[in-house]
Amino acid sequence: MKKVFIVLGFITAILATILAVTPLSNLAIIPIIVAFLCGLMILFISKKQNTKTKTIQYIFLLVIISLALTIYKGVFNTTELGDTEQLEQRAEENLEDSKEILEDLEIDEDL
Amino acid sequence: MIIKSLLEKLKLMKNYFFAFMLVIGLQSFAQNKTIASGEKLVYTASYNMSGILTDIAQVKMETSEVKTSKSTLLRLKCTAATFKKWDNFFKIRDLYESYVNPKTLTPYLYKRDISEGGYYKFMQYKFSHKTNTVQSNRKKKRGDGTIWETNKTLKLSPSTKDLVTTLYSIRNMDIHKANPGDQQNLTVLFDNEETVISVRYVSKETISTNIGRKECYKLAISMLNGNVLKGSNSNLIWLTADQNKIPVYAKFKIPVGNGELKIDSASGLKY
Repeated sequence: MKKVFIVLGFITAILATILAVTPLSNLAIIPIIVAFLCGLMILFISKKQNTKTKTIQYIFLLVIISLALTIYKGVFNTTELGDTEQLEQRAEENLEDSKEILEDLEIDEDL
Repeated sequence: MIIKSLLEKLKLMKNYFFAFMLVIGLQSFAQNKTIASGEKLVYTASYNMSGILTDIAQVKMETSEVKTSKSTLLRLKCTAATFKKWDNFFKIRDLYESYVNPKTLTPYLYKRDISEGGYYKFMQYKFSHKTNTVQSNRKKKRGDGTIWETNKTLKLSPSTKDLVTTLYSIRNMDIHKANPGDQQNLTVLFDNEETVISVRYVSKETISTNIGRKECYKLAISMLNGNVLKGSNSNLIWLTADQNKIPVYAKFKIPVGNGELKIDSASGLKY
């Protein structure tokens, strides 16, 4: 039982950290919650069995790191548009090219 | 006697059939009452997984006038660009444009110029409505950076339109005359293949958007012979229930989670 929680806790904690680093940081919230609950369960079980488990610390550490990153990104990241210069340039080139093509095309006003 | 009257009835039916086909044919050349040049619609595309939204890209839809020596055309331009935080991860800079007749929204030239995380593709369709053909030109970037070009001539049905024009023609439909449940099929040319999509009017709904609370027509879009847009009620689009019929909100289903398109601003509208 304990082992299951340790494995699940570790997997979700690592997943949360990975997601928190990528731009998908919003989605890290779900694994953070799962990892945190697993950590609590392990803590509860080991207290009952009177054993000490080191993994709890690691899980909580990862959870804290990813939570901090997610909150930081959520607060400071604005949805800013990257450079669109290249895109605008391509649009401009395409427009010039299209004008030339359209000159040669037969255009029926009634269609 | 009976055979004669039957034959006459059949003849009458044939006439009705032709009249009916003519009406359908005329419908595809319906007059443009909705789209004016100088219109600019800005959207934010986001990805939604179990209630958590992540903004991904900005989508713009613009129209402008293009003059050639013989005529004036309407340029429908759609661009998509990912937000800065995504650019190192997966950079998208897409351009879709179509040059159409401003009166009837008949396409003459379509271009798709996409760059998605290192992948580059260019597609061009030159429509010839007299012969019902399209000259397609495709350029793709190979792994070593060289360009691979293919040219083809395709035969089309007369009402086939490109993707961008189809999006705009949905706005030009007479939705106010339709009843909930009514459906219309449109043929779209995409990746050198004709695909039939069906647009169904679901209901009227009032939703709140960034440009205010709007009464909207809710339309469901599905693909009849494709795999991209599956399900009959999972790809929805909300058009304002006024004369402008601006798309204010769209929802589409993708294998993991679903995507959303929300309007940020609208300017240069006709009404």
